[in-house]
Amino acid sequence: MEAIQARHNLADMTYINPLPVRIWHWVNALGFVLLVLTGAQIRYTDIFGVLTFESAVKLHNWVGFAVIANYFVWLGYYIFSDRITNYHPVLDARKFATNFFQQAQYYSYGIFKGEHSPHQVQPYDKFNPMQRLAYQLIMLTAAPINFVTGLMMWDTQRFANWIAAVGGIRVVDTIHVAIFILFVFFIFVHAYMGALGRTPITHYREMFTGYEEH
Amino acid sequence: MLTKSETGSPRKPKQGVAIRTSDILAMCTALSILLLSIPTTSIAAAPTGDAMCIACHSMKMNKALEDGDQLSLHISSTDFTESVHGKFGCASCHSAIAKGPHPKPAAISNKRDYSVAANDSCKNCHKGMVRSYQKSIHASLVAEGNQKAPLCTDCHSAHSIQAKETLATVTGQPCKGCHEEIFTAYSQSVHGTARENGNVIRASHIQAPICSDCHSAHDISAVAASEKLKSACIDCHPEAKAAHQKWLPNSELHLTAIACPACHSPMAERRVDLQLYNNVKQSPVAQSDDIEFQKRLQDLDVAGDGLDPMELWNLVRQTNQDGEAVNITLQGRVEVSKGIDSHRLANKGAAVRDCQSCHQNGANAFNSVTVSIAKPDGRKQRYVANSDVLSSAVSVESVSNFYAMGGTRIKLLDGLLILAIFAGVAVPIGHIVLGKILKKIR
Repeated sequence: MEAIQARHNLADMTYINPLPVRIWHWVNALGFVLLVLTGAQIRYTDIFGVLTFESAVKLHNWVGFAVIANYFVWLGYYIFSDRITNYHPVLDARKFATNFFQQAQYYSYGIFKGEHSPHQVQPYDKFNPMQRLAYQLIMLTAAPINFVTGLMMWDTQRFANWIAAVGGIRVVDTIHVAIFILFVFFIFVHAYMGALGRTPITHYREMFTGYEEH
Repeated sequence: MLTKSETGSPRKPKQGVAIRTSDILAMCTALSILLLSIPTTSIAAAPTGDAMCIACHSMKMNKALEDGDQLSLHISSTDFTESVHGKFGCASCHSAIAKGPHPKPAAISNKRDYSVAANDSCKNCHKGMVRSYQKSIHASLVAEGNQKAPLCTDCHSAHSIQAKETLATVTGQPCKGCHEEIFTAYSQSVHGTARENGNVIRASHIQAPICSDCHSAHDISAVAASEKLKSACIDCHPEAKAAHQKWLPNSELHLTAIACPACHSPMAERRVDLQLYNNVKQSPVAQSDDIEFQKRLQDLDVAGDGLDPMELWNLVRQTNQDGEAVNITLQGRVEVSKGIDSHRLANKGAAVRDCQSCHQNGANAFNSVTVSIAKPDGRKQRYVANSDVLSSAVSVESVSNFYAMGGTRIKLLDGLLILAIFAGVAVPIGHIVLGKILKKIR
């Protein structure tokens, strides 16, 4: 930290990601990657042979539970801290749409012209509109849906009524896999966009130190 | 009421009962000698009528049947008197005789019809057994007119009926008489060899099962009504559920969706049967009119090459439109393709335990699919479906209750995954290329 601060003026550093958020993020990242890999192993045993089906299922289940528990770290932190404003700093749809468009314009054009991002990262408003939408879709819909569908498939007997309510085990699996496919796409794009900082590792470093480098 | 074995060698009939004059003289002589030689006290103690019956029926005589066949009227007095029915006498079954003199010979169309009619006499004493039998697949086949389906006498014989213990032997009689190949498979199975090699498996003296232990003796269900057979397995192997729970995830689901022999007969060919199931009544959809179901399937299967995913979806949709509000889906189950394989049960060490034998694309079990409906007697009426009904996106609704991860994965999702990976790689590359192009333009 001192080394980083030594390279930059303190005025250029803003503490954006507190420790619980950083722990959650990296546990979640590792968990998602493992779930994607073991999920692919379960689904494509005929193509990949790194793990047996049985081992892949066991690992997938354990990692799944870890990711679910970790989810509540994230949820609890944001519910019980004032940093929830990062997700809803302004509840104004029109303004949000305008900002979203500006941000998309920046990523598709302005960034290459050396323009600054239209969104200024601040401790209580750290996400740009595109991040805000993507992360909420994932954390409030896609991830919980996959947690629940994963639980149903983990113990079909215990959750038999839930499975019936959803429409059957094939429906449950189809939803689970469709969201898995979405996560595969997200991981690629998220990893790439993380490299769009001042240098390719700036944002990655920030997720370890917590400090945003301007 | 004679079994096939007791019908003697054919003789040329004249008319009605084909008895020669010499036979009549011989019978009269024999009867006279018999009556004179039996002390009066013996006549009082023994069933007099039986002696009279046997006096004639111990001789070789045939009755000409309307179909040109011959019915042997010969009864072995030893076999009958030594049978469990010996003490009850002839008239206990042939009640018409007890009413008076020997009934006038009536015309009999053929052996089978005579045996079917005579079958009723068993219920005079064995009401419960006959009631059970009447619910059986054997009785259903008889009612259908199946000429080979067994009547009481086909298993128990007509006149040399033995105690039931004699049937529960390793010889396989009487089942083997009709199901010889299946019995041979059983004899080589873990059950058959255990039974032959001393029988006692555990300290509690549980014996390895013979046919009737799993199928029951009289109310033999159609094998497709597999819950009963599964119960038979669990009855002798109560620890099986707990044993599976130790290593098999979702063991209850596996035990429901997979017939025991599908894993415990490791060399068996497997298939998936999709049975129409009423979720409101929580029971298989019963088909009272076989022809209607068959016709509907034939109408749907335009190409006649088995149901494809859309045709299967239409079947479920149409079935749901029948009658009252219902919720009919297809209940999938992995089972062995040939009944004989159900009897080739191996030692549990040889049972299929490798998950990948089902949970991977192209697994043997998912290459063959049938759609079925339960007939009133429990048998299934089946129709072939294409194996892609298990991997089509169209089947998400129609086959919503059957899914094996990896084994029956939906191909459309595979395509979407490839697209997602392609897009995931294309977005960064496209963005980098876009940046370079814009820099050049600037």
